[in-house]
Amino acid sequence: MAPPQLQHVNLSPAELSFLRSTLCQDPPIRFDHTKGPKDFRSMRAEYDVLPGANGSARIALEDGTEALVGVKAEVEKSQWRPSGDAQLRDADADANDKDAKAKGQNSWMEMSVEIPGFRDDDALPVFLASMLTESLLASGGLKDRLYINSRFHWKLYIDVGGSFLVHISMLTVQILLLSPPLSYPLALLSMTTHLALLTSRLPALKSDKDEDPLFDDDWDAAVFLYPKSKANASEDKPPVIVLAMAVGPNIIFDPCMEELAVADAVLAIACANATASSSRARIVSVRTIDPPSHLTPPGVPNSMNSATGGTVPASSAEALTQRELFANSGVWTPPRGGMKRGLISQVVKMVVEEGGVAEEVISALHAIELG
Amino acid sequence: MPVSMLPPSAPIAAAHIDHADSDEDMSDDDSLPVQGASSIVTPGETVTSDPQWMRGHGTYVPAETTTIISTVAGHLHKTNKLLSVQPLRARYTPEIGDLVVGRIVSVQTKKWTVDIAAPMLASLPLSAINLPGGILRRRTAVDELNIRTFFSEGDLLVAEVQSLHGDNTASLHTRSLKYGKLRNGLFTSLSGAGGGILSRRGGVVRSKRQTFTLQTGAGEIDVVLGVNGYIFVSAHKKSAQDEKDVSITSLEQVVSETLYSSQNDDIEPGVAREITRVSTLVKGLAACGRRVDEDIIVRVYEGAVELEAEEKVMGGSGRAAGAKGVVEAVLGRLEMGG
Repeated sequence: MAPPQLQHVNLSPAELSFLRSTLCQDPPIRFDHTKGPKDFRSMRAEYDVLPGANGSARIALEDGTEALVGVKAEVEKSQWRPSGDAQLRDADADANDKDAKAKGQNSWMEMSVEIPGFRDDDALPVFLASMLTESLLASGGLKDRLYINSRFHWKLYIDVGGSFLVHISMLTVQILLLSPPLSYPLALLSMTTHLALLTSRLPALKSDKDEDPLFDDDWDAAVFLYPKSKANASEDKPPVIVLAMAVGPNIIFDPCMEELAVADAVLAIACANATASSSRARIVSVRTIDPPSHLTPPGVPNSMNSATGGTVPASSAEALTQRELFANSGVWTPPRGGMKRGLISQVVKMVVEEGGVAEEVISALHAIELG
Repeated sequence: MPVSMLPPSAPIAAAHIDHADSDEDMSDDDSLPVQGASSIVTPGETVTSDPQWMRGHGTYVPAETTTIISTVAGHLHKTNKLLSVQPLRARYTPEIGDLVVGRIVSVQTKKWTVDIAAPMLASLPLSAINLPGGILRRRTAVDELNIRTFFSEGDLLVAEVQSLHGDNTASLHTRSLKYGKLRNGLFTSLSGAGGGILSRRGGVVRSKRQTFTLQTGAGEIDVVLGVNGYIFVSAHKKSAQDEKDVSITSLEQVVSETLYSSQNDDIEPGVAREITRVSTLVKGLAACGRRVDEDIIVRVYEGAVELEAEEKVMGGSGRAAGAKGVVEAVLGRLEMGG
């Protein structure tokens, strides 16, 4: 049997047309009627769920989709690099510390995404893992903190356990049913990774400089991977990816599967929080995602349907010209083309502006951590 | 607040669940090892090895033993001496005469296969549909070639279970003006609830009327509650009788014009909003573990409209509460009001 296809949409043209017409209204009527265009689906989050990991988090959506992330750090011998070591030997202690700032390597972090129903070399998990890795590395900071000394470093393994469908019965029972995710899981996985990294701790280092590393046994003395500062505003936090979708004149955040099926374009925006250098949220990376709507079959207008008294066009060229006439009626036509520049800048602005979506998401995740 | 993130909630206390529907044991002297509201049994678990009990649904007795073993994961029910296990999640078991909503999975030479949330796909033969141009029209080879103009993959339809085969696959028919292709609305699935008499909490109950028209502020909307847990909410279809000057002979003709249309009519924004609202409320009802039927949908819908109007007056924004939140609020008010 062919593997399940997440991108495959199995909605009828009439449903797609209805969904699109509701989402295009002003204000848009979302699939979940109670939500506004900027609203995220309500979710349940918790951290420190895996006792054996350095950091872990779990976020569950109301529809049962759930993500579990574990962060595991191991000490690994650094590869000897001639140029870097030569500098180190020449430099004095202060310079050595400064040098450590840019010592991190991309290979020190490994991310694996596992989604039920997908092989680990399928396109979706690989793409999700690379997007998550990309945003984490692009925000800087993280890989440098994995530096222990010139000979050793931490190797970070981030395991993003896929999205389960969890059925919670009315009693205190949980039945885990593995099933493919019910919507594009990037934003969910990213938020869970954010929370896991935010709460990850590494054992405190007791040894000096270039000695073989020796760590404090006491877990209470462990230091946070993302150090907490008293002034809560300017501390560095991992980036988080927000999914935005354009449909007609409207921009909708955190779309569900049915909404994605009628999207004109989908943007994944990774953003980090405001730091001392910038007063607003920063964009780390932006990627477009091919929406599944491009693959949907077009609806057949009544006038071209022999079952409704119409006449089937003789040639495909004739069919195409006739379809153009029905672009804005109740006939579903899959969206074509990409995103306009103006639209991208509009979405980016909504994300990073003061009190924008990025700030909301990061502060909501921070609130979970504070408890 | 656009983003709402909460810590995991404590499970709902067992006291909230009513066990009134299960006939309680008449005699208290025989105690069963597995009892109590919060206990569930898993497949393969021994329920009891006492020979005084009889096995019911969801249980199994291996040959030459008296041990009753559960075959599903669910709650144990006992009715006098009968032990049955009600599964937490179940697929729909088709029965003849059920009104179901289905989605076309594949098109074959003379039939369609339809997903009706049953363990196996149902089939809809070409001979079991109304062909455009009247019931009496003969099915021709041309119709077989044009099979995709009637239904193609992904299309939704409402049909009746006509017959069951030996392996419990259902055969459907749409030979009535009530049945056929669905359009102008939204599809919702309450999967895993079983459906029918065996309906779990949060499923559609088999009732006298599976389709009804809901009066809303913006206009009438049709709700089709498939016994299989698939639900379709759509703009009200003007029936041919509404149009006075249509004679009974041409009635067929008028209907057949739009019978297999995959084009939506113009739907007013207000009606579209109410359709989405009803569909969201139905999902909320299922999330709250309520049985879904006409009565509760009408009551919850009216309560939700009232609630929104009040919030608008108060100036507070009731947004982002989620489907479950709204339904919980409405149900709370309904219970307080009696």
